[in-house]
Amino acid sequence: MANEARVNPLVPRTGRIIKIVDETPDVKTFHITTDSGKPFTPLPGQLAMLSLLDVGEAMFSITSQGPEHLELAIKRVGMLTDALHEAEEGQTVGIRGPYGNGFPVEELKGKDLLFIGGGIGLAPVRSLINYCIEHRQDYGHLWIIYGARSPADLCFKDDLFNNWPKVENCRVDVTVDRGDAGWQGHEGFVPAFVEELHPDPAGKVAITCGPPIMIKFVLQSMEKLGYKDDQIITTLEMRMKCGIGKCGRCNLGSCYVCLDGPVFTLAQLKQLPNEY
Amino acid sequence: MSSIQEQMRARARELLTRGEVKMVIGWEKGTFWYLSPPAFITEPEDCDRLVWDEFCTNNLAKYLLDYKFTEDKIALFVKGCDSRGIIRLLQDNQIDREKVYLIGIKCPGVRDGRQAAALGEERRSEAPLAEKCRYCTHPEPVIFDELLQDEGGAAIREAQATPEGRFAEVARLEAMSPDERYAFWTGEYDRCLRCYACRNICPACNCRECIFDRSQSGWCGKQMQRSENMFFAITRAMHVAGRCIECGECERVCPEGIPIMALNKKIIKDLNELFGEYEAGVDLEARPPLGQYKLDDPEEFH
Amino acid sequence: MLKIAKDKLPELLQAWAGGAKVFVPQDKGGVSVFLPWEGQGNLTLGEGNTLEPPKDLFFPRTETMYRYQVQGKEASLIEVPSLEEKRVLVGVRSCDARSLLLMDDVFLTRGYVDEFYRQRRENTRVVALACTAASPTCFCTAFGIDPGRAEGVDVQMWPVAGGYLLEGVTEAGRELLGQGSSLLAEAGAENIPAAAKPGLAVETSGVTEKLQRMFEHPYWTAVSRKCLGCGACTYLCPTCHCFDIQGENRGNSGYKFRCWDSCMFSEYTRMAGGHNPRPSKKERLRNRFLHKLQYFPERYGKFACVGCGRCLDRCPVNVDITRVIREVKEVTL
Repeated sequence: MANEARVNPLVPRTGRIIKIVDETPDVKTFHITTDSGKPFTPLPGQLAMLSLLDVGEAMFSITSQGPEHLELAIKRVGMLTDALHEAEEGQTVGIRGPYGNGFPVEELKGKDLLFIGGGIGLAPVRSLINYCIEHRQDYGHLWIIYGARSPADLCFKDDLFNNWPKVENCRVDVTVDRGDAGWQGHEGFVPAFVEELHPDPAGKVAITCGPPIMIKFVLQSMEKLGYKDDQIITTLEMRMKCGIGKCGRCNLGSCYVCLDGPVFTLAQLKQLPNEY
Repeated sequence: MSSIQEQMRARARELLTRGEVKMVIGWEKGTFWYLSPPAFITEPEDCDRLVWDEFCTNNLAKYLLDYKFTEDKIALFVKGCDSRGIIRLLQDNQIDREKVYLIGIKCPGVRDGRQAAALGEERRSEAPLAEKCRYCTHPEPVIFDELLQDEGGAAIREAQATPEGRFAEVARLEAMSPDERYAFWTGEYDRCLRCYACRNICPACNCRECIFDRSQSGWCGKQMQRSENMFFAITRAMHVAGRCIECGECERVCPEGIPIMALNKKIIKDLNELFGEYEAGVDLEARPPLGQYKLDDPEEFH
Repeated sequence: MLKIAKDKLPELLQAWAGGAKVFVPQDKGGVSVFLPWEGQGNLTLGEGNTLEPPKDLFFPRTETMYRYQVQGKEASLIEVPSLEEKRVLVGVRSCDARSLLLMDDVFLTRGYVDEFYRQRRENTRVVALACTAASPTCFCTAFGIDPGRAEGVDVQMWPVAGGYLLEGVTEAGRELLGQGSSLLAEAGAENIPAAAKPGLAVETSGVTEKLQRMFEHPYWTAVSRKCLGCGACTYLCPTCHCFDIQGENRGNSGYKFRCWDSCMFSEYTRMAGGHNPRPSKKERLRNRFLHKLQYFPERYGKFACVGCGRCLDRCPVNVDITRVIREVKEVTL
């Protein structure tokens, strides 16, 4: 039958959790593969629809990938993510994708890149950071500014404190809202920290992702520092169901975030209704 | 004496001009002659939009919940059934009496817009009374701050409320065998679109968050199929048990024409038989039969 | 051009039913709906449009997408069989015929093909019925729809005295007519009746451009006040296509289904953490109208309204899209 050759984009493939990394008390990174290897090869910033078949399905950003697996960093916020956090290595999952536009890796070539992340918001940005590190000669200076509520809430500590600082022409600055007894680093909110560090806008593109309130103030800080709307890139989070621009709910005006996003420049966002 | 409609417009204008209220909720003419949908007037010069005719069917009470968290005082025109909706909301602690100004209208009964449309405008006067008015026991408002006076004095009504008429459909359904009744109700609710219009218009459905808006809670799935539809139908009916004011709006707004009031009236009839006669939304002080607790209750609680 | 006597129509339906499942408007509890033709029934082809549009036949209210079994950490997934059933849909009005073309844009284009929809659509022949009388709530011509001739259909029918004229528009349509050749007689095209004049008229030109500048306008607060926030308009709309995906789990097995959803509901956009980008009925009603009149035209180059008037007919509080279009055009910016 002719229909058998067609792939139904709404039906996932089954895959398996092969490794779980505790990032923070409420964030874990899940390494996922299938019997035939990596489920698919996403661009940095693209999304995957992940499910526990008997619980539910939701869209997550893909934080990184290896030759045989995808990595999804997931914060515990609801029913599905609760169940995922209870899952063990070896658990079968459903996965479909990749979805969304991803970061404009071609257009970013040759530019200095400033990454500004807060909390779990580093997850999508990390896919781009790792991509730039893999293609180091294509990109200029990499500057990562990251913050979380407390030292315990910092995601990807190994990258922040070991891997990324060793990369050539790469700088990492970390802050926490409130430190603890052992914290030697910077204390304060991300937007203020960005202003303190005052990265010069010349030749740069800033990529920011984090909680909505952080993004709001980061954007104000960027404006103060002289960044233009087309120098700022962010990635949005919306409730999604189909992932393929049909089911309707993730629309921002005539755009579907699952298809036309989740990555937008601030200039593009300003053209869209403020409904995110 | 001026007509009800002229009095409506004049009073609305006065209240808004003097700043006594921020908004007046009444009715205006809609797209067609047989529609008089709700109107929300905030400017004195817009008061001439208000109308009073035989198609001012919409119960306006529920709209007060949209303004629950504002400090503004709102004036509302109330027919008998609308005023019972107000009692409902007051008894459920949903609204603040001081923030509402109620202008009562003695209601002669409204007409069925859909049947009127089928007859055509030239036969407008032949349009039958709306189903909800045929057995109405309270055409005059039961709570108001002022009452508009009509020319004829007492409200004109074509049909007197009779207990037999009020529960005639219930009796018909009760006479069915269980299988027949099952076939009847599943046949009706198989059409249910789960649009929730019946819930949204109902002054007794005033939960801040409804379980049917929380499909993830697992109580009721979103599948539009018999078991889920019946779960919705029965849950909604039981939730308004003893609190339904018989305004009939659930049935009127149903796009599929499901006879929802038959379900509500069955429960009213059973409650009357079990706990004594009670009319919801009539007396602010009379507690609903399922909403009170008596130490000398003959039944034990388990 | 062919003609069939009115009393022979059931025989034609029966002929088609030999090779396909035939759906045709019939009376069910006092309302006209598309129902399978089972040899007899009370046809309602002469009574205006059906209460519900035919979208349910392509995009069902609820459909199973796949099944699964779970055993500890193991889980397997079972796809549903593809939908092979051949169908003939008879009595589709021009407005609803346009709505199928709009749903094609949604489900079959822009990078992904929705297999469930495609299979049903490709297996269904559409027989349109021209309107010679309109309801007061009709306004299809506002969107360039000809009530006398439908777009994208296989057969066009016209009601005439004593029967119907039929014209095979596509090869598949002519083949359908061939199946009933003994019931059909040649007729002249000059007998085609005049198309109905819709009850409502509204001028749509410029409304998209106006709406593009009105997102923050207080008009939306005013127009949404009377809205009940129910989903009647969206569920009766032939072009509303939003859906939800959920699962039904029983012990170790279950299935995923999709079902209609409505942008009028609070749960529609509410995220797992509680944030809701459209928190009140103002934002939801605005989204519904903008989707019909601005977003869909921007994305697909067409209005997502076909003027069937069902929302206007069944809205409990008379929210009227023709009035919205008129008022939007009158708003001063």
